[in-house]
Amino acid sequence: MSTGTQLLVGMADIKVAKGPATFTCLGLGSCIGLVAFDEQADVWGMVHIMLPEAFKDKPVDKVGKFANTGIPAMIAEMEKLGANPSRMVMALAGGAQVFKFGSAASSRLDVGARNAEATLEILRGMRAKISAQDTGGSSGRTMIVKSDTGVVTVRTVHGGETELCCLRRGRRSVAA
Amino acid sequence: MSHTVTIEQIVSKTSDLPTIPAAALKVMRETQSSSASAASVARIIVTDQALSARVLRLANSAFYGLSRKISDLPEAVVVLGMKSVKNLALVAGTYPWMKRPLTGYCLGPEEMWRHAFGCAAAAQIVARMSRKCSEDLVFTAGLLHDIGKVALSVWLENKMGAILLYAGREEISFDEAERRVLGYDHCQVGFHLATSWNLPEEICSACLYHHTPAQAAEHQSVVDCVHVGDYICSAMGFGLGGDGMLYPFDEGSLTRLGLRPEQIDAITDEFVEKFEEYEALFLEIAA
Repeated sequence: MSTGTQLLVGMADIKVAKGPATFTCLGLGSCIGLVAFDEQADVWGMVHIMLPEAFKDKPVDKVGKFANTGIPAMIAEMEKLGANPSRMVMALAGGAQVFKFGSAASSRLDVGARNAEATLEILRGMRAKISAQDTGGSSGRTMIVKSDTGVVTVRTVHGGETELCCLRRGRRSVAA
Repeated sequence: MSHTVTIEQIVSKTSDLPTIPAAALKVMRETQSSSASAASVARIIVTDQALSARVLRLANSAFYGLSRKISDLPEAVVVLGMKSVKNLALVAGTYPWMKRPLTGYCLGPEEMWRHAFGCAAAAQIVARMSRKCSEDLVFTAGLLHDIGKVALSVWLENKMGAILLYAGREEISFDEAERRVLGYDHCQVGFHLATSWNLPEEICSACLYHHTPAQAAEHQSVVDCVHVGDYICSAMGFGLGGDGMLYPFDEGSLTRLGLRPEQIDAITDEFVEKFEEYEALFLEIAA
């Protein structure tokens, strides 16, 4: 069933909503889909992160593109709708990697692992509550969030759609 | 595992095999000839009404920002450049079958197209940064690198799950699993198709070695660019399908191209910026 506004979160997009909405983050390869929720304010946010960090020598065209600019920007947008970062719970998915790098390959090449690590590091720095994560592996993912139930699901081609977590109180589980 | 169908049988028994329009192939060959001119390319284009209309539409599009209308084909070729005309001809000629779903690889409508066009755009950026080979040739090689999947897809239907399980159990890449289960992989099938179309050797090599670039004895720079482009567009989630990122990445490609791992983020960033611009333009003109 569709619930409220349908929000497609494309590459480098940040989408926020207060009230009923369904967020869909399509085609996550090495990218990260991050969802945040403040239940008291009933405000949701989602960002589709492509790369870990903005370039020092290039202006940022879309803040949602990078973990270090996208996460603060998503939170700022949520605050405008009345959310409070200290009350937010979050979940993330994506960060897939290629099957195998050469034995002496540089870790710089593993964009998926670096995206996941950069995202988690920023969230840890904010003391954010991370409810669940589904990162790594070699499959593309689609992340779907339904605000009315609070359920976050992850769909893969072969795994089908599975529930990652529920961000609403009562059913919520908090992981490290 | 047993392999009962040969590549030749796959190609001969697959109905609705992809084709490239004759005019597009002729334009590609002509633009690679040392005697090519705007007039000689225009003479080929004029034989294909749909292609002629597209070339004129592109030359008159806002992208080129000309103040006057162009209605003369040779002039349109001059405005666009022969390489852009060739790319337009190939993209427009392959789009009708590339946009179809490939259920054997779990690719929905447009996903194969986005992966092929994405790989072409990313590989072209890599070629420009490396200065080791023609950006234009690399674009074409990137566009066509996975044509083997189009022929093999129907034979993979209902087998994808088993091949993925096999790859996972044996801890091997998807192309290796294809070879063990079917006797060949999509790269070999693509090479067979490309050679049967008499495509340039560089493009045939890219079809065959895009997952194993170190094995390419010739045209390795083109193969390396396509290998890196394929990785970048897959990492960004373009047309991952069932085989997803179950392929190895050979850092040797970057080394041979004179690029450093630290540059991968910048290439990725430029790719995503350019892809959106190129895709909008080509779909407006070519679709």
